[in-house]
Amino acid sequence: MPKIAILKFPGTNCDEDVAHVLRNIFRLDAEIIWYKDFSLDHWDSVIIPGGFSYGDWLRAGAIAAKTFAIEKLKDAKDKGIPILGICNGFQILVEANLLPGALLYNENGRFICRWVKTFVERAKGPWLSLARDGQELDMPIAHAEGRYYVDEETYKSILLNSPLLKYSPGFNPNGSIYDIAGVATEDGMIFGLMPHPERASEDVLVPRGFRAGGRIIFESLNKSLKRGW
Amino acid sequence: MPLTKEEINEIKKILGRDPTLEELAMFEAQWSEHCSYKSSRLLLKLLPSEGKNVLVGPGRDAPVVKLFNDIVVVFKIESHNHPSAVDPYNGAATGIGGIVRDILSLGAKPIALLDMLYMGIPRNPHSNWLIRGIVKGISDYGNRIGVPTVAGDTWFDSSFNTQPLVNVACIGIASINSIVLDSPKPKDLILIIGNATGRDGLLGSSFASKPLSEDVDRDIGAVQVGDPLTEKLLIDSIQLLVSRKLVKYIKDLGGGGLTTAISEIASDHNLGVVIQLEKLHTRQKLTALEMLVSESQERMLIVVDIAKIRDVEETLNKLDIQYSIIGYFTDDGIIKVFYNGIKVAEVPAKELAKPRPIRRESNPPIDALKGLKTIYNTFPEPDIEKAILILLSSPNIASKRWIFEQYDHEVGDRTVVKPGYGDAAVLRLLDSSSRGIAIKGDANPRYTSIDPFNGAANAVGECFRNLIAVGSKPTAIVDELNAGNPEKPEHFWYFEMMLKGVSWMAEELKLPVVGGKVSFYNEDYMGRQVKPTTTIVGVGKMRNISEAMTMDFKETNSIIAIVGVTYPELGGSEYLHQLFNIEEGEIPKPRPASELRNARFILNAIKHGLVNAVHDISTGGIAIALLEMAILGELGFEVDISKVYARGIYRVDELLFSETQARYIVEVKSNRVDEFKSLANKMNVNVSIIGKVVGSSKTSIFNGSKVVAILDLNAMKDIYNNSLYREIEGGM
Repeated sequence: MPKIAILKFPGTNCDEDVAHVLRNIFRLDAEIIWYKDFSLDHWDSVIIPGGFSYGDWLRAGAIAAKTFAIEKLKDAKDKGIPILGICNGFQILVEANLLPGALLYNENGRFICRWVKTFVERAKGPWLSLARDGQELDMPIAHAEGRYYVDEETYKSILLNSPLLKYSPGFNPNGSIYDIAGVATEDGMIFGLMPHPERASEDVLVPRGFRAGGRIIFESLNKSLKRGW
Repeated sequence: MPLTKEEINEIKKILGRDPTLEELAMFEAQWSEHCSYKSSRLLLKLLPSEGKNVLVGPGRDAPVVKLFNDIVVVFKIESHNHPSAVDPYNGAATGIGGIVRDILSLGAKPIALLDMLYMGIPRNPHSNWLIRGIVKGISDYGNRIGVPTVAGDTWFDSSFNTQPLVNVACIGIASINSIVLDSPKPKDLILIIGNATGRDGLLGSSFASKPLSEDVDRDIGAVQVGDPLTEKLLIDSIQLLVSRKLVKYIKDLGGGGLTTAISEIASDHNLGVVIQLEKLHTRQKLTALEMLVSESQERMLIVVDIAKIRDVEETLNKLDIQYSIIGYFTDDGIIKVFYNGIKVAEVPAKELAKPRPIRRESNPPIDALKGLKTIYNTFPEPDIEKAILILLSSPNIASKRWIFEQYDHEVGDRTVVKPGYGDAAVLRLLDSSSRGIAIKGDANPRYTSIDPFNGAANAVGECFRNLIAVGSKPTAIVDELNAGNPEKPEHFWYFEMMLKGVSWMAEELKLPVVGGKVSFYNEDYMGRQVKPTTTIVGVGKMRNISEAMTMDFKETNSIIAIVGVTYPELGGSEYLHQLFNIEEGEIPKPRPASELRNARFILNAIKHGLVNAVHDISTGGIAIALLEMAILGELGFEVDISKVYARGIYRVDELLFSETQARYIVEVKSNRVDEFKSLANKMNVNVSIIGKVVGSSKTSIFNGSKVVAILDLNAMKDIYNNSLYREIEGGM
């Protein structure tokens, strides 16, 4: 059975939520790993969950991105290990240059916790193998520094060839450029997103007017780890 | 507040000599109102704190109540009013930090936070600054520690313009076997874990036990600064230590700092203590006195059996938590404090921990007559449509989205009924069962300022109803009494009456008051007390979270019914305040017998699946409750208010805006109306069928055949959703 590492830094706070969803909803083998104990050897996939690693000191994700754990994660790329960064995990991946762009303070200057609708562009790779292009995924966001920014050249040369998650019209909560909610490497191996799929994987947690849009990401991983993508 | 001359004489008598400077500081901290409850202790005994499910009542850092046979809830309320008036951001943030550590002290896992904020008028520049700072402080701290802020209560009133009330609560759960209830024994080691001790918050509880000074900057040194990252590491490490059964006893270092922590543990367990202050990890070089009374945040005291110290040190090191082993317990009942080998204090624990209670004089002020005045017919009946729109835009009624969207209310994956959807928050236990817990905090500062006894009783009643409305069975409450200066008999009277009101109503509703907090000296520098306020936080148990009720209308053609009887009770209402600037008159009567009967009926109707939505009728009366259900459900309605079961009512505004207690509006499934009626009949409950939900965006209120108000849902949705935003951020 494939094994998934949930990488925990001081201040990470969604580790137990991701572990719950992977184990109890999708029946995957997942373990929370303290950053000091992390090595790549045993894992078929790595998820960096949300939270406030190092209390968001300096910038969200900036300090965690400089740890040995993330240095080791950079080798995962070559080993073909799928990596997912959720919220603060996304911020860390961006700070570590594993994904392009930057995540700035929300346009209104405040933390925002709210359900949004997003949709997928160019669905491919282990995290979106079951998704269709244009498929709508509803999930909640909860962040202060989630306004995605990328320059036009990078957007056109790289992101337009990569899988993307975009806020649906009227749902961009933070002023992200091109309505971007999540970006992936061209092959989709490394995927980072601001919304929380682990909070949108069970109907009981979904408010009226929305659907459990996070499921497809974990279902894709489940399928991908067992049968490829 | 510095010690009085009589208190200093008493200390000399206890010690049999002149106290050292360190001893004086210890007495000042511990004998402050904040730590010792000296003015309130005698009266607090009135509260009914027992019950078959109460495992630990008042006395420990937080009470423990059995929620299910195998699960306990640990919850408590705290005020950070004074620090928040001086430094709203850090004051509110450290309030969250402190209440979370109280929950950790019993070894429970914190799963939810509540904030009950009573603040000034948003358009007043000073209170606007306070509001932004308080909410951001809670947001930054609560979000970072990964505990969702799921519910609360808010009220805006000019009496809070310079002195807001910031009441926060934390809810924890634990399995009944894992709760930490051991007693320390002689030779057990005392560790301080977490933040290094610094010079912040020196004698902060003494500062909280006096009125604000005119120049608030003079008080700034008494405010603590929060470090949520360390708090998060404390949460993680306590969970780990508890799960490995490595600690015997845990206590927060809160008000009074090290002095209060050691004196209370020693006194409660008939022990003495030896402390070596030079071992304490500090941020800077501190004197012995500073170490004894510093209120630096994110510190906890843990008691460890000497045989387990190595395992404890290993766990703390792994999680990068700082700690120091500062002493041990003895059996002589004396607290001995050394600094570099020199004895700086030697005090009997019991005498230090509990100063003699003070019986304060209590006198009703002239203002108390406001609550007895009849106010009817002194004001003209306004245009009802206009009145509804004014009420809907009141910050006390409009959606609190500007606040709760700044809080991560989802972390933990437990939040089933989220802020803004129901009368209370519902969280699942996430233990592979379908069980859950409902949580709510309530107050009405206007009621308690007009009639403290009945106002406080109504706060209990409202919290009870909110828990019922989501389908939970209320289990226990905690209270926070925010009052003025206890040395002024006219202020103390409000405290006494509020306490008696809570005590009476809780007993009537069979709700144990398992803990609480008292905050005195809530007055501005002119000596004006803020509106005295009783805040109640309650928890309810839910067997099945899939039955959790929200308040939004769900189905076209379903039937709208009112449960309970409406009386002409406009005194103290939001309606009179917003339209006529009247804040007096008899406030609605607490009706415990109706509360119990109607609550049983609501729970039955939910259990039998007869209803789609339930909403408690409170601020703004029937009109506002109806509109809230329609706005959230995005469905219109047609009702005839002449059908409302009422007594002694002659005017339409009385019917629509009266805030009579013990009432609910329910949306009854269109095919279950007969069952609903016969259940009401059987349970001897008054229900009135007043209309139905319609598919259009029109909300129509008729009085018989006469039109009272026809309003468009979309316009009202904008007013309801965005009014508070506009009040705070500016704009029309």
